[in-house]
Amino acid sequence: MKTIVVAAALAALALGAGCASRKGFEREGFAFGCPVADADVDSMGDLIAAKVAPEGKRTNVVVTEMRCTISGERMKIEANLENDAGQIRRVAYKFRWIDTEGMRAADEESWKPVLMYEKSNHVVTAIAPNSKAVDFRLVYMGQD
Amino acid sequence: MTPLTPLLRIATVSVLAAALLAGCAKDTVRYGDARGVETITNEFGSTDLQMIAEAMTRSLLDAPVVAANNLPIVTVQEVRNKTSEYIDTRAITDSIRAELQKSGRVRFAVDAADMANQKEEVDRQQDDEYYDREQTAEKGRMVGAQYRLEGNISSIVKQAKDIKDVYYKFNLQMWNVRDGLLEWTDEKEIRKTTTKG
Repeated sequence: MKTIVVAAALAALALGAGCASRKGFEREGFAFGCPVADADVDSMGDLIAAKVAPEGKRTNVVVTEMRCTISGERMKIEANLENDAGQIRRVAYKFRWIDTEGMRAADEESWKPVLMYEKSNHVVTAIAPNSKAVDFRLVYMGQD
Repeated sequence: MTPLTPLLRIATVSVLAAALLAGCAKDTVRYGDARGVETITNEFGSTDLQMIAEAMTRSLLDAPVVAANNLPIVTVQEVRNKTSEYIDTRAITDSIRAELQKSGRVRFAVDAADMANQKEEVDRQQDDEYYDREQTAEKGRMVGAQYRLEGNISSIVKQAKDIKDVYYKFNLQMWNVRDGLLEWTDEKEIRKTTTKG
């Protein structure tokens, strides 16, 4: 019985240590550098689901990766858009910036059109307009 | 009364129908999204202006001279329009200035275009005996800019039978007024293509 308890404790410790050092989840409340607060984010897919908000016309262009960092006092974001289709696709995107109270941290951005070639990736980058912006949503829509 | 020939009858009916349609046609007015993607023609439009202003502002806020939080004093000079079309470049610099001012990281000194108004107001306060002498703006108290912003917008237009391609390049620079060094510069490129049919 004692052996089982010790083995279970060791296994839990190993699991905990494994989780603590998992790449992208080093800081509590952040995933891949992006703020997630209490959201249940355990993978890149979860992060994208939490941060990406399709609006308007749907498109089969998808966000496949997202990373954040802090530059000076402002958040910097990189997101990879992927067009898996065999045709050119056009999308438009913008970022919505959110402050600590969950309110808009800045005026609405303009939609930025992007042309995506067949079977291609496009990285969109953004820098928060001010240091009040502590969270964000990537909004995008089809333009075809 | 002479009967109408078939051709004249068709013409009369067409004219009447056209007049009727013109009378019935109603203009529809709707509010739109001021920040939506505008693709009515491939001339310089609101989306281009907004994209340029946003890209330049975010980039400038990341420049060491601004990011260092020293509240640099900047003046906006001309953005030269080197394209073949009319572009209100002042609208672009006004948007950039508004965004930068909102960031609280940059202060703006009166630019050359507004100097006449500034001088006129100081003179008016000085010359008018109705103002409190203690509170009137004095001559010789204005602060000069440490940096000046200037730029260019140029375009390359190519046109064939059924296609028109326009490439815009907007370049903005921030120069140190005292030593003449270029402190920051960035560019934004835009390509728009119109195809007929």
